[in-house]
Amino acid sequence: MELTGSQKDALTELINIGYARAAAALSDLTGHRISLQVPEVAVHQIGEIKQKLQSVIVGEVASVNQIFSGPISGNAILLLDREAAILLNRLLTDRPDMPELDGAAREVITEVGNILLNACLGAFGNLLKVQVTFTVPQLQIETVQRVLSSIKVGGSELEYALIIHTRFQMRSSNVSGYLVIILGVTSLETLMRELKKWEERELR
Amino acid sequence: MSEPSDNQRSQRREALLSWIQQFAPYGVITLDESFQVQSWNHWMQLHSGLTFEDVTGKSLFALFPDLQERRLTSPFARALQGESSVLSTALHRYLLPLRSPFRETGLVHMLQTARIAPLFSDGKVCGIVLVIEDVTQREKQAETLARQHRHDELLSWALAHLLKTEQPRKAVRQLFFKIAEQLDFDTFLIYLRHPKTGILSLDAAGGIPVELEKDFADCPFLRVLSQESEGVTIINSVQNRPEPELRALKQAGITAVVVIALVANERNLGLLCFATWTREFITEDESELVNNIAQFLATAIDREVTNNQLHDAKEQLSDHAHLLEERVKERTARLQETVSELETFSYTIAHDLKAPVRGMSGFCDVLLEDFSEVLPPEATAIVKRIARASKRMESLAHDLLEFSKVSRQEIVLAPVEIEPVIEELAALRPPAVRDAITIHTPLLRVRAQRDLLQQVFSNLVDNAVKFIRPGAAPRITVSTELVPQTSPNTRSRALIFSSTEFESGEVATSPEETNQNSVRIWIADQGIGIAPEVHQKIFGVFERGVSSEAYEGTGIGLAIVARAIQRMGGTCGVVSEVGKGSRFWLELQAA
Repeated sequence: MELTGSQKDALTELINIGYARAAAALSDLTGHRISLQVPEVAVHQIGEIKQKLQSVIVGEVASVNQIFSGPISGNAILLLDREAAILLNRLLTDRPDMPELDGAAREVITEVGNILLNACLGAFGNLLKVQVTFTVPQLQIETVQRVLSSIKVGGSELEYALIIHTRFQMRSSNVSGYLVIILGVTSLETLMRELKKWEERELR
Repeated sequence: MSEPSDNQRSQRREALLSWIQQFAPYGVITLDESFQVQSWNHWMQLHSGLTFEDVTGKSLFALFPDLQERRLTSPFARALQGESSVLSTALHRYLLPLRSPFRETGLVHMLQTARIAPLFSDGKVCGIVLVIEDVTQREKQAETLARQHRHDELLSWALAHLLKTEQPRKAVRQLFFKIAEQLDFDTFLIYLRHPKTGILSLDAAGGIPVELEKDFADCPFLRVLSQESEGVTIINSVQNRPEPELRALKQAGITAVVVIALVANERNLGLLCFATWTREFITEDESELVNNIAQFLATAIDREVTNNQLHDAKEQLSDHAHLLEERVKERTARLQETVSELETFSYTIAHDLKAPVRGMSGFCDVLLEDFSEVLPPEATAIVKRIARASKRMESLAHDLLEFSKVSRQEIVLAPVEIEPVIEELAALRPPAVRDAITIHTPLLRVRAQRDLLQQVFSNLVDNAVKFIRPGAAPRITVSTELVPQTSPNTRSRALIFSSTEFESGEVATSPEETNQNSVRIWIADQGIGIAPEVHQKIFGVFERGVSSEAYEGTGIGLAIVARAIQRMGGTCGVVSEVGKGSRFWLELQAA
């Protein structure tokens, strides 16, 4: 399933609405102005994403994983490479530079992932006027391959992955990561249909 | 195994809930949709001091109003929308204001990580579950670790700087501002002990108002340190202490001070003090780190002192050596000048004497030839004596001029065959002398200046011919032998008029040549011999081995030999006994 240009634009706009909420929450939390940007959104079949992600993230990654269920269901993951995770923690907390991701740093990354995933999936729920429920986020630090192989591919349905390149901008630094939302074809089609309606409403 | 029945499932669920209620090591709270407390486990009772009865049916936001003040209600509201949230310690410190489990941390509240999630019934949100984890201990450990890390970095930074610098006392000011800041001190003072008087004086200070610095110049609080000045002394609550010695500290607003002795190589070099204006107490933990820094500083200062002493000693030694060298140069120059003046003087005398002496001699001849008939016999005898004295004077002047010439002329060494030299000089002498010379061929070649070597042989041959028993016929043998190169110390010195005591620079020899073997030339006679006690003397000017009037001579011949051999880089000597003949030897480089 390929996204058309206008579908991509609509999806990016929807995600930006969610990110605006997340950025506001993070700014409020840290007292620093934080903005979240979406340089790129893409849809891939589940089989393709391993190769796609391995080309942009190498080594160990910090992943924050939340399973969501309801009228649309799937798995949402924030992926940050190790350096990005350490930098993000430092920028958010003002703690002295520690070379390792200690317990407190892991929690910060979990909370940031949680805010981002909730905001993004919440925006989808609002669009679809349905309630989406989430599990408590889980953080793992491991290689990209292991993260991807631990994602359960559910049932017989063909699955797709939305890959949202995400950039945190704060205190004149940039931290880049990827938000990956894995959806069944039915959920994706529902999402696209509602997105089209929303767009038409907006244009009217 | 059969499937558990609904009843069994329900019983197990009950048991799990009961366990969570009683024993879970977390705070677990459930709320209904209006945020009223539905359950409150034992952990919560323990840490909040509120029983289930105290909280049941009450809104969590009413029980803990600061949740609203700190804008922490939104995760609860969103939980009702189905969202789960994690609240981290680093970003929130705590969710509920519970008492800190460790009082000594200075924390009022327990540090917490909280999870807020919706509870579902029949697919719909029916309430909220709140799980609270106590992470105070974890954070305390992480903080200790981080502080340790910072201190280690500070120590290695300070150590590196103090090791690197040649002048640690200069570097101290710059270093200690940073160290004091990093260790949360406002002031530092460094006192150094005078190496001779032992009196302490302020060497460097930071964080003291300039107008108060003079009050600290001689460590006013030294006596308060009492006997402990060898180690670490902490004075806390300075402002409340009665001792008058602390007046300067009080006036500067200092509230606590730590003083450490600077000790290196068992020498007490001074004191290092860190002080604070804001804290009442300095802990033992801090003093350990400060003690390490003091040790670094003491070692660096000790090194500087030792280096300076070494440097001074070296300079003194070098000055002294320079002075000695100058004196030797000066004296050598004076000596050379004197020698040169004397040589010029003797040359002038010898030269100027020649003409008048020849005149005297000539007029004596005229008197004897033209007026012999008119001169009375006594007068003739006197004139003959004058003539003999004039002849003697003439030959003295001649020999002195020869000696001067040998001393002054430029020397160029080249390989010389000895045999032709001897044959040439023999040819100029009467047949009796010619026949007296026996050469033990082959003679080895030497490096010498030919005319000078001929002069040496002439003088030795003439001596051999002259100093014989009356009536005896002269017999002279010349031979050579190879002398392997030996160090001058191993040579017998008694008989040597050695050139090694003179400047070798006089002779144009290259270093390779000096390593070559030497040739010793023997000139032996069967004359009257020389007493051993005068062997050395005879090579001096005007020195004669015999005083007898029977043997004529100026006493310069052997002096010329010695000077000529010396100027050609060689040595000479004699082996002789009275009545047993003499064996003169000359040692020159082999060619």
